[in-house]
Amino acid sequence: MEKLKRLQENSLFLLPSVILTLVLGIYPLIWMLRYMFYDYVGYGEALFVGLDNFSRLFRDEQFWASVGNTFVFAGGKLLLTIPLSLLLAVLLNGKLRGRNLLRGIYFMPTVISTAVISVVFYNIFNSYNGMINQLLMKYHLIGQPIDWLGPKHAMLTVIIVAVWGAVGNYMLLFLAGLQSIPQDLYESAAIDGAHAGQRFWHITIPMLGPVMQMIIMLAIIASLKGYESIMVITEGGPIGKTEVMYLYLYKLLFPVSTGSPVTQQFGYGSAVGFATAIIVGAITAGYYFLSKRMNKVF
Amino acid sequence: MSMMKKAMLLGVNLMLILALVACGGGGSNTSNEPKESTTNEKNEGNTAAAPVQLQYWTDDRHDQEYIKEMVAKFNETNGDNIQVELTVMSENYTQSVDIAFSSNQAPDILRLKSANTEAFFKKGYLQPIDGYLTDDMKTKFSSVIIDEVNRFDGQIYSLPNTGLTLRLVYNKDLFDKAGIANPPATLQEMVDAAKKITEVGKSEGIYGFALNFKNPKQAFDRSVREILSLSGYQGLGFDLKTGQFDFAPYAQVIEYFKQMHEDGSILPGAESLDIDPLRAQFAAGKIGMYLSFSTEPGVYQDQFPTEINWAGALAPTLDGQKGTSEIVSAGTWLGMSKTSQHQDAAWKFMQFMYADDVLTTYHEKGFGISVVPSIAETAKTPDVKGMEGFLIGEKDSLWPVAPNVTPEGANYADTFFKYMLDGGDVQKTVEDLNQRYNDALAKSVEKGEVKVTPNPSFDPANPQGE
Repeated sequence: MEKLKRLQENSLFLLPSVILTLVLGIYPLIWMLRYMFYDYVGYGEALFVGLDNFSRLFRDEQFWASVGNTFVFAGGKLLLTIPLSLLLAVLLNGKLRGRNLLRGIYFMPTVISTAVISVVFYNIFNSYNGMINQLLMKYHLIGQPIDWLGPKHAMLTVIIVAVWGAVGNYMLLFLAGLQSIPQDLYESAAIDGAHAGQRFWHITIPMLGPVMQMIIMLAIIASLKGYESIMVITEGGPIGKTEVMYLYLYKLLFPVSTGSPVTQQFGYGSAVGFATAIIVGAITAGYYFLSKRMNKVF
Repeated sequence: MSMMKKAMLLGVNLMLILALVACGGGGSNTSNEPKESTTNEKNEGNTAAAPVQLQYWTDDRHDQEYIKEMVAKFNETNGDNIQVELTVMSENYTQSVDIAFSSNQAPDILRLKSANTEAFFKKGYLQPIDGYLTDDMKTKFSSVIIDEVNRFDGQIYSLPNTGLTLRLVYNKDLFDKAGIANPPATLQEMVDAAKKITEVGKSEGIYGFALNFKNPKQAFDRSVREILSLSGYQGLGFDLKTGQFDFAPYAQVIEYFKQMHEDGSILPGAESLDIDPLRAQFAAGKIGMYLSFSTEPGVYQDQFPTEINWAGALAPTLDGQKGTSEIVSAGTWLGMSKTSQHQDAAWKFMQFMYADDVLTTYHEKGFGISVVPSIAETAKTPDVKGMEGFLIGEKDSLWPVAPNVTPEGANYADTFFKYMLDGGDVQKTVEDLNQRYNDALAKSVEKGEVKVTPNPSFDPANPQGE
């Protein structure tokens, strides 16, 4: 009787999140899984087209280019973000004056709206009156303005913006991990004569293993899915050089109005959404499998 | 414990209700029958009864003070106890309307634009107004009713008020400085002028030409579109004579844009330029010329007040003015919701808004250029600097509509912008675009989404055939 009561209570506690998951998670998912086999523009009849959307997907050069761009963007972002945020976390975990203030400052980008940050960065990087070019030219480091948002450099620029926005966030996660490492390990290592570098490589890194595994996984997913700042800064351009797959998907479902009529492509968009989910899922699973060792260091 | 349980149960019930409401909204607005008048409307005129409340949604912000004034005037003066509430939306207007219709909270009157009317019609949101039109109104608007713009399947859904003209916007001071007397009449002259202005001004960061290439479609739909229609071709790549897409004339225009890019006459960074940053640079005197809508005079009066001496002029052409400048975004203004419970009252408000005095003041205040002939003829020129270059003249006309199709792969603007920056085989580019657009067109025709009637005798100098 008591057990049944507990079960009832537990189910009641679970109910809100179950309902929310059903309405906001499962229902849209089923909707998408259905419409990826249809030609549907948001009104009128949805035409069943079988696997047509998928054959279109395979010959869609724009989509595959966006997948390539996603890898470059995510790779670049991760390679800069993870070491930088770890370095900052280690520095700010030490006995530094004003470290709490610095932690706050570095974390700030996480709480500012991406759209606002992106507009600011647009004004910093644009080539006709951007601050970066003005500074570089003032100190005679460059003779001609660099077209930071042009076809050659746009990807680098959006990666820099993404790294700036993400470092503080991962720094905080690393800090939490660092603070869980027992101090006596460092103390005994110091007694044994290990210098700071050795302590970092032989204590900090291995002890951070499980935390780092999770942080890197979160970072991989976030960087594969990130597109908001790109949408504001370059809208995927110029000529598709910064078009990442989720931005491409977004534009299919919510095309930017240009004054002339635009058509939403829910059917094809669903197929693209499915493919992107598979790609992100496969990469995450692959990483998880390969990084299992990190979990077993101690 | 029992208190907690009660609170919990209450919470769960609330969640359930919320979920049911969220799921159960759509589907009940699919009736195609016009709504009958309700008791409220039968009581119209009886001031003791509760007023008929109407919702009017718009995404126009530039004219909101004037519209608010007109709504207030209507609310005070109408003898039918009708009260209109105006809601001015910003972004996501279309999505808001979609949500409102699927949750049975649709407004009674909607602002319709050429970019959303067709979709709203196909989604079944709109009520035809033929039954309400008086003979006077039919005459007043007869020459500006266009199929697939405000008339669908033979029924009228909205009446026009204003339209936008497209012009070359140029900085007279920079033209003078470069020793160029007149705005360019041909594309070759435009390329030469851009080069000269850049040569003279580059050291001060001044360039001959710019467009908002961040979104190439927005850039080309305000420039190439105009150049083509004035040169005698439909501006979005559609051949009205054959009823097929043909991007060959489009490619000819792009060659000149490509030349300006190669000459270095285009503002650096234009690839990532939005229209507002472009305007800010133009207002600062850094851009020789660009092409845009008749919204620009208002922008330089309020948004980016400028000291520079600028003007609007007819766009340059490929080889002479063989067509007419297309008046765009014309043809629709107010529409009535199919689900409105107060359609008669909604019509009374629409009638008030479409009266001569309201439309005339709208034009004279410079909110838009009237396309209604009787208004355009009698209204005074708007008192906005630069507007004289944008007014509708004998070279402007409404064009038949090009079918809206979505091809597989990149659209024409992205494709041509890539060619402009990267080069390539223009012949192949045109063939590929023709192929993809005509395939998409054939598909849409087959599905019944689009109707195409070739018009072999189409005359670009007289697009409406009158």
